[in-house]
Amino acid sequence: MGGEKKVVREFTVENKYGIHARPAALLVKAAGKYVSEILIGKKGSEVSAKSIMGLLTIEGHQGACLSVQVVGEDAEEAMAEIAELFEKNFFEE
Amino acid sequence: MSITLKDFWERGQARLSLELVSGEDALDRVVEEKAINRPGLALTGFFQYFAQRRLQVFGLAEFTYLKSLDSKEREHRLREIFEKNIPGIVIARNRNPLPEFRVLAEEYSVPLFRTAMITSHFINESTLLIEELTAPRGRVQGTMLEIMGIGVLLQGKAGIGKSETALSLIERGYSLVADDVTEVVRDSRGKVVGYANELTRYHMEIRGVGIVHVPSLFGVASIRRESELDLVVELHPYKNDEQEERTGIKPDSIEVLGTKFPYYSLPVSPGRDMANIVEATALNHKLKTLGHDAAKELDEKVIGTFLRKAGV
Repeated sequence: MGGEKKVVREFTVENKYGIHARPAALLVKAAGKYVSEILIGKKGSEVSAKSIMGLLTIEGHQGACLSVQVVGEDAEEAMAEIAELFEKNFFEE
Repeated sequence: MSITLKDFWERGQARLSLELVSGEDALDRVVEEKAINRPGLALTGFFQYFAQRRLQVFGLAEFTYLKSLDSKEREHRLREIFEKNIPGIVIARNRNPLPEFRVLAEEYSVPLFRTAMITSHFINESTLLIEELTAPRGRVQGTMLEIMGIGVLLQGKAGIGKSETALSLIERGYSLVADDVTEVVRDSRGKVVGYANELTRYHMEIRGVGIVHVPSLFGVASIRRESELDLVVELHPYKNDEQEERTGIKPDSIEVLGTKFPYYSLPVSPGRDMANIVEATALNHKLKTLGHDAAKELDEKVIGTFLRKAGV
């Protein structure tokens, strides 16, 4: 067992339409692969990244600054995959 | 697809009030074109565009015209038609075939039928019959149900719980079309209709219980003889990394008899009431056909809000 790890990062939403249904589904699918708990949102109002309905409530519009907090044994891998989605703008414009 | 006169005769005998006058040994002849032809113009000697691959129907007009000719001329005109290698002849209104018909039918070995129907009714009915006989057919693995007028084909590996899910849906008041194996036929509009095998119709097998007769247990409202297919739902074991649909904005599709249907792959896991989920899938599909796509509408609302907030 690798034990509990905690990774925190901040991202700015770059794509035009923000985290609407399609990007939210991508995040949920990525997050669902890991056992770690993954919270995402504006400071103080984070939701689980494994819930599509939750992700739609965090108002991840273009320019929004979101914090991602991952806690668990596979935290680093999970964060790497989530970071990739943000960096690639969820494969949108 | 084409049919033989044997199929036509066997399936249409009662429905078309048919009688086989002669030519029993030539029933293997093939009807290559689905429509019926009235050979009026051909009788006058005009053969351009003569539909020789169709079944030929002699109605009142053709008969009266033939009778107005003398025997030699009549024989000559009819022979010209028989020479075109037509598949078969039907005489409407139960008229007695003129002697020239019998002789020529024998000579060219063309089956000769007679019907009690009047020509126009016969043409309508036999066109429908031929359409049915030539419609593409198949058999798919899966249980079919009708949920609020939506035809749902439930697929999944043996033991995943198709029949059990179907049973719960029947208890909720929906209807069984076929258990485990569904026969499908595509009609001329391209719609696919599912129905059960005649022999096992309305029966289903429940593991641990055995074979049950659905209408005896749940009443006649629990069954449908056939139903138009609207969507395909597959049950599969839950796997965490499965790439399943999460938004429902762009459902997959699957082909049945060459027609595309929306396809939903539903993961089964402890605590998930599959009957409930299949019901919701069917109802959500119905809503979509009515023009309300909840997933799309919510997404548009979200995007609209985000665009305003981003100040674009």
